[in-house]
Amino acid sequence: MNNGITYAESELVLLLKQRNESAYSYLYDHYAGSLYAIILNIVPDRELANDLLQEVFIKIWKQIDSYDPTKGRLFTWMLNISRNASIDAVRSKSYQQSQKNRELTEHADNVNSVHTNTDKIGLRAIVNKLKDDYKVLVELSYFEGYTQDEISKMLKIPLGTVKTRLRNALIQLKQVIKS
Amino acid sequence: MDIKAYIESGVIENYVLGLASEEENAEINRLRVNYPDIDFAIDRFSTDLELQLNSSSVTPPAYIKERIFESLTFQNTFKGRYLYTEKGDQLHTPVIPLKKHVFTWKWMAAASFLLLMISSVFNFLLYNRYSDKNDAYQALLSEKNSLFAANKVYQVSQKEWELTSKMMSDPSMVLIRMKTTPGKNNKDATVFWDSKTKEVYLVANELPHPEMGKQFQLWAIVDGKPVDAGIVDKNCTGICKMKNTTRAQAFAITLEKQGGNPNPTMEQLMVMGTI
Repeated sequence: MNNGITYAESELVLLLKQRNESAYSYLYDHYAGSLYAIILNIVPDRELANDLLQEVFIKIWKQIDSYDPTKGRLFTWMLNISRNASIDAVRSKSYQQSQKNRELTEHADNVNSVHTNTDKIGLRAIVNKLKDDYKVLVELSYFEGYTQDEISKMLKIPLGTVKTRLRNALIQLKQVIKS
Repeated sequence: MDIKAYIESGVIENYVLGLASEEENAEINRLRVNYPDIDFAIDRFSTDLELQLNSSSVTPPAYIKERIFESLTFQNTFKGRYLYTEKGDQLHTPVIPLKKHVFTWKWMAAASFLLLMISSVFNFLLYNRYSDKNDAYQALLSEKNSLFAANKVYQVSQKEWELTSKMMSDPSMVLIRMKTTPGKNNKDATVFWDSKTKEVYLVANELPHPEMGKQFQLWAIVDGKPVDAGIVDKNCTGICKMKNTTRAQAFAITLEKQGGNPNPTMEQLMVMGTI
């Protein structure tokens, strides 16, 4: 459906708010891959990631009216929807149950076919370049969705230290992205 | 405030990646209004992140796009905002209930109109029946009134006859039949004279109707002289009470001018009878 049209972001947002099909097609063609990678960073299960990608696009469709361009870029907004949907899915009871079953099956068959190695895709490709100390914090906060307070308790590190260390991790992350 | 230090402290990335707490979000939203550098830094990191993630993206299976687009209903028009829906989504299907609503309204409007028509027909029929009944009632009312009036007339004449029969059966009542004088109309009149009470009654309904300005006057003839016994009331149709007369040998009626005369006009003598 990509007709070779390119939209300015403001124009694209306007068309998305009008539920224009070409605009959604363009949106999918340009952003589905990036969002899918983020979903896979959090949910390695392909089947579930596929469902989540669909869920994310439907959420974008439903919530586009609440998107405020003055608060940030469209991609950032969609990225946060994808991340939140994925973390919610991972935290759901049914997912927790399926993970237990998977562990048992893997133990028996040693098969890992449905899971993707996501170390080299999405944000993990960058996070993996960080120091281990930083990696843990980004893993817990960004990919697993724990609050800094929760991380402080989990790792038995003072909250102030968690904050400072995470900020430093993000500064480093920014440097990697820039380069 | 050292904006440069603030920007480089990691808060921007914290904010863009959605890791900031409510307070941190509120703070940065407040600051970015006054410090365009913050706004710029946010946009800069967002753009870098977008480019980076775009380069490390994974192409999803082709069928997913199809699946997504099948579940969405598009509005391929630029004429502003329309109602839209996602197939099979209860929360986002306002169009269907709305259509049902319109449908219901149409039906309700049609039903209302039908009821109005039925009601009109009934109103018309009932009004006609009401008119008929009202006419019949008016007819009965006037019939009743005329019967009532007729009844009164009968009552009056009944009373008169009762009185007459009483007078006639009274032994003290003297009946004087007055004969028509020759040359006048052949009409008689009768005087009842109560010898006890001296009351005089006249039954003069056979006399002709007097001409305008004239009245009949009754005279008692006492010792050859006429004495006024009263003017005959024009409205008296039955038994008319006249003046009491103590004694008389005869009674006579003359036609006099309106109001009567002290002396009778003998040329106009209508009837006369002796006791």
